[in-house]
Amino acid sequence: MALHLNLLHEEILEQRQRQRDPLKIGMMVLAGFGAFLFLYYMFNAYRTLEIKSRLRAVERNWTKIEPEVTAADKRVAELEGIIKTTSALDNYIENRFFWAPFLQKVSHCVPPNAQLTGLEASVLDENKGVSVSLEGVAAGREPRSVAEDLRQMLIEQLGQGYSGVKVEFKMLEDLDTIVNVGGTNMPMAHYLLAVNFNSGPMAKSAPSPSPERTRKR
Amino acid sequence: MSPPKLTKDQVQKLAFSAIGFVFLLYVYFTFFLGPLNRSRAAMLVTIQDRQSKLDASKDEMKKAVSLEKQALTATNRFAALRALNPEGAPIAWFPPRIKTFFANHQIDKAVARLENSAAFKEAELSGWTKYNWLIDLPQADFASLGTAIAELENTEPLLSITRLHIQTLAGQPQFQHVELVAASIIEKR
Repeated sequence: MALHLNLLHEEILEQRQRQRDPLKIGMMVLAGFGAFLFLYYMFNAYRTLEIKSRLRAVERNWTKIEPEVTAADKRVAELEGIIKTTSALDNYIENRFFWAPFLQKVSHCVPPNAQLTGLEASVLDENKGVSVSLEGVAAGREPRSVAEDLRQMLIEQLGQGYSGVKVEFKMLEDLDTIVNVGGTNMPMAHYLLAVNFNSGPMAKSAPSPSPERTRKR
Repeated sequence: MSPPKLTKDQVQKLAFSAIGFVFLLYVYFTFFLGPLNRSRAAMLVTIQDRQSKLDASKDEMKKAVSLEKQALTATNRFAALRALNPEGAPIAWFPPRIKTFFANHQIDKAVARLENSAAFKEAELSGWTKYNWLIDLPQADFASLGTAIAELENTEPLLSITRLHIQTLAGQPQFQHVELVAASIIEKR
């Protein structure tokens, strides 16, 4: 077996100690870690730039579309306002009380030997009902029964178009005056009728006297 | 193999390196990576916000187009109702219009006076005002009056008669003295 003599023992030991220098190793680790952090930062910076370009594109789109959206919003609000107003106006129009059919019914009820001298009528609040006061005179052998016939006729006629019809005498008294009807002298009675009813859904506008007078809705 | 023994100088260098490393980490996260991440997160939130606005705006525009079609009847009706009344103060045009209207039905001397006007409580009618008019017809016959009222109710949908008073004239039983209270809805202009 050959004999090996290590004459550089001290130099080799120093070299090994230099290679295992913890400071040097630490610096190398630190440099490596620093490089990793730098790369990680660059990766994040790249992602941020990409997101920034996406944001710019989205904002460009938004700037382009924003005036149209604002106009559309405004138009929607305007249209909704128109729809609501039209609906409210239609509701008002529909809930009106039509007087012409009422006057027509009253005129149909008055018999030839009775006369109306006054009519006072008003629509109660929020179109809940109609209150009418009819004043007049009736002539006949039994003038009170003529007035009663008028009351019955009013109940019958108004009941066909309205609901909750009430017709009551507020006053019915004989008059001293004698009137000549068809060559016969007849006594007279003075009456005051209170008429109340609800303007129900059956109330409709009067028939048109001419073709042009059809109701425009 | 035992770990190499560090000299005092080496230990000092190691300690300084460790402190430097910690400082470096602090600077890196506080002044570099932190702001970058925050700005990216803020941009992502902005993108999300804008995107949701864009999506919503598309729906809004579709809704506007659809509503435009649906509201065609209402807009036409609204325009027709607006066109019923001319521009200007109602006191200037309403009485002459009523006078002409009744004159066309053989009822002369019609006079319309403004009793009062009031705004509507309903928000949807905030642009409209209710005017109450007293219409006096000193000499009218019942048949003409009935026809005139029917025509008035049919041609003036925004007018509603609220009170009616008919009284026979003493010397002329064929004529009556008529008073009407009518409410008309007129747009504020």
